[in-house]
Amino acid sequence: MLDFFARSLNASTIFTIAALGELIEQRSGILNVGIEGVMLFGATLGFIVAKTTGSYLLGFLVAIAIGGLIGLLHAFFSITLGGNQVVNGMGIWILGFGLTAYIGYPYTEPLGMDRIPEIGGLSPFFFLGIALVIITWWLFSKTTLGLKIRSVGENPSVAEVSGINVTATRYVSVVTSGMLMGLAGAIYALDYNPVWSINFLLGWGFIALALVFFSLWNPFILFGGSVLFGTLWQLSLNPQLVLPDIMSRYIWRTVPFVITIGVLVLMSTKWFSSRWGAAKPEALGLPYEKE
Amino acid sequence: MKLGNYQVKLEKKLRVGGWEAAGISILAILIALLLVSVIFLEAKVNPLDGFTSIFTYAFADQFGVPLTINRSIFILLCTCAFIVPIKAGLWNIGMAGQLYGGALAAFGVAYAFGASPSGSQNLTLAPGLIIPLMMIGAALGGALVGAIPGFLKGRFNTNEIVVTMMLNSVAFWLVAFMIKDGGPFMGAGGEGEGFILPPSLDAPQILGGPYTILLALLLAGFLYFMFARTKLGYQIKTYGQSPSAAKYAGISPYNIPVLVFVIGGLLAGLAGYHLFAANPGVYKITQNYGDFGDLSFYGVICGLISLENPLAAIPIALLFGGLTSGARFVQGELQMGFGVDYAMLGILMITLVAFQFFYRNKIVWKKLEKEK
Repeated sequence: MLDFFARSLNASTIFTIAALGELIEQRSGILNVGIEGVMLFGATLGFIVAKTTGSYLLGFLVAIAIGGLIGLLHAFFSITLGGNQVVNGMGIWILGFGLTAYIGYPYTEPLGMDRIPEIGGLSPFFFLGIALVIITWWLFSKTTLGLKIRSVGENPSVAEVSGINVTATRYVSVVTSGMLMGLAGAIYALDYNPVWSINFLLGWGFIALALVFFSLWNPFILFGGSVLFGTLWQLSLNPQLVLPDIMSRYIWRTVPFVITIGVLVLMSTKWFSSRWGAAKPEALGLPYEKE
Repeated sequence: MKLGNYQVKLEKKLRVGGWEAAGISILAILIALLLVSVIFLEAKVNPLDGFTSIFTYAFADQFGVPLTINRSIFILLCTCAFIVPIKAGLWNIGMAGQLYGGALAAFGVAYAFGASPSGSQNLTLAPGLIIPLMMIGAALGGALVGAIPGFLKGRFNTNEIVVTMMLNSVAFWLVAFMIKDGGPFMGAGGEGEGFILPPSLDAPQILGGPYTILLALLLAGFLYFMFARTKLGYQIKTYGQSPSAAKYAGISPYNIPVLVFVIGGLLAGLAGYHLFAANPGVYKITQNYGDFGDLSFYGVICGLISLENPLAAIPIALLFGGLTSGARFVQGELQMGFGVDYAMLGILMITLVAFQFFYRNKIVWKKLEKEK
């Protein structure tokens, strides 16, 4: 049972880090629906590099770098070219899924390296995740940079007038987000489930996307949501732990997605938006052009 | 920006003409294929040989052509499923979930009338009736999955993109539940695939191909007519331009999202029906059904490249159908790695994303006056 909770927390770490990335860029007003693609890039290249060089460190660094690079691509399409961010995100997802299928296929096998040592029965990344949650909270509530990011996400023209460089702020946010997503992908491929297979994230990136909406852009709620979703996912692997013979594991796997839809609907109601409506970055998803 | 003696400026396009758009689309496809050449080069294959093999197999091979047609029908139906909501400004990213819903419903109808995993053939209704009922069931199944984001959008203004994406995952696992680990639709072989339809329920064929080709072409033609000539098409487009303006024009902001998503889901449901229940030699929900869900995203690309025109989508669907079937073939033929077709999907998509820019902007070159 303890083992089960440890696995759940390890799974939740991946949701936490990827979703924190998305949270940061959404705070700056940029939506990336292609988290799954960025994570696939990080996971696949991180896996290949770690496997061929035998170095975990190199694997993680490459994953972070490729994540940042894909973030840069999304930033270029969404900020400089001002394209529809949903289309750009879709493009990044399908590019990630398509290219990694081809690049990774010759490496369809277990990683075959010594496991990353655990700390107190948990993956060390779990603690990194908690640290990142606190840092993100601190960034947005205590620092000038955080305030700048939030202001370009709420009202870019006003931010521009008050002397903030909207383009640069958004670029920094989106690239940082990409790096976090790449890292999350690598944690999945090098620590949580070190066996490469085609499209092996099984929609984790989409769960992370959903988490950001679920969290109302609050890092602590996001962390709570990750633990919930991580546990639900782990339950889907071992449904006999809770409801033996009642619910198929496949049905369990739909639960995080169904909950997300429920939360989204709740958030869209009049009652909710009149109470908590201010949570959503006002300019999310809208291209900005300097007057 | 200045380049030598020229002033380079970006100007917004107010509208894109048909021929201009076609030109941009063709250029986007050509550039994407040029980028695909890099993959060929990396695999030490001459790109010309690669493309020759792809196109020969796809359009001039006795095994390749039927596959191309099959995939084109599928892509065309998915494209239409994308086009109807996008005309109303709504994004249907849920063709995968809707086609799974359609496939489950089609096999549910067959199951209800006696087709069963054990291979028993005691059908309780004439096959001539069950076959059309399966098709209708698939359409309704897809429409039901589609109705969810439509209703939530209309009633609560919930973001349809996230909802359709979530439903893709929900439907994916529902299919797994039905066909794997002893699920009700599991095939007799226990290999994690659905049961095979009894031969009497094999869908009719036209010239050895699935009859759904007629269905897909008729539907594309009908949609074109609907958007060009009917009041409903006009209302959908008006809503797409501005939901609030549409409201003042007496168009229900609640009905339109529901309607376009029901139609979209219905079309995607038929795409699922085509793949699994009307495809000669298949007639079951295959183990790799998820691959076809992924393939449905060609519908998004095709819908965007054709600028939401169902008739323009026909040749593009044919091209993409050929490219995917041909790419699958060359990777075996030329000893390339697995996944050439997936890589191509990704590259086409991202190139198109970059090209969106040129549908909206034009680059103006102006010669600078020499300063005297």
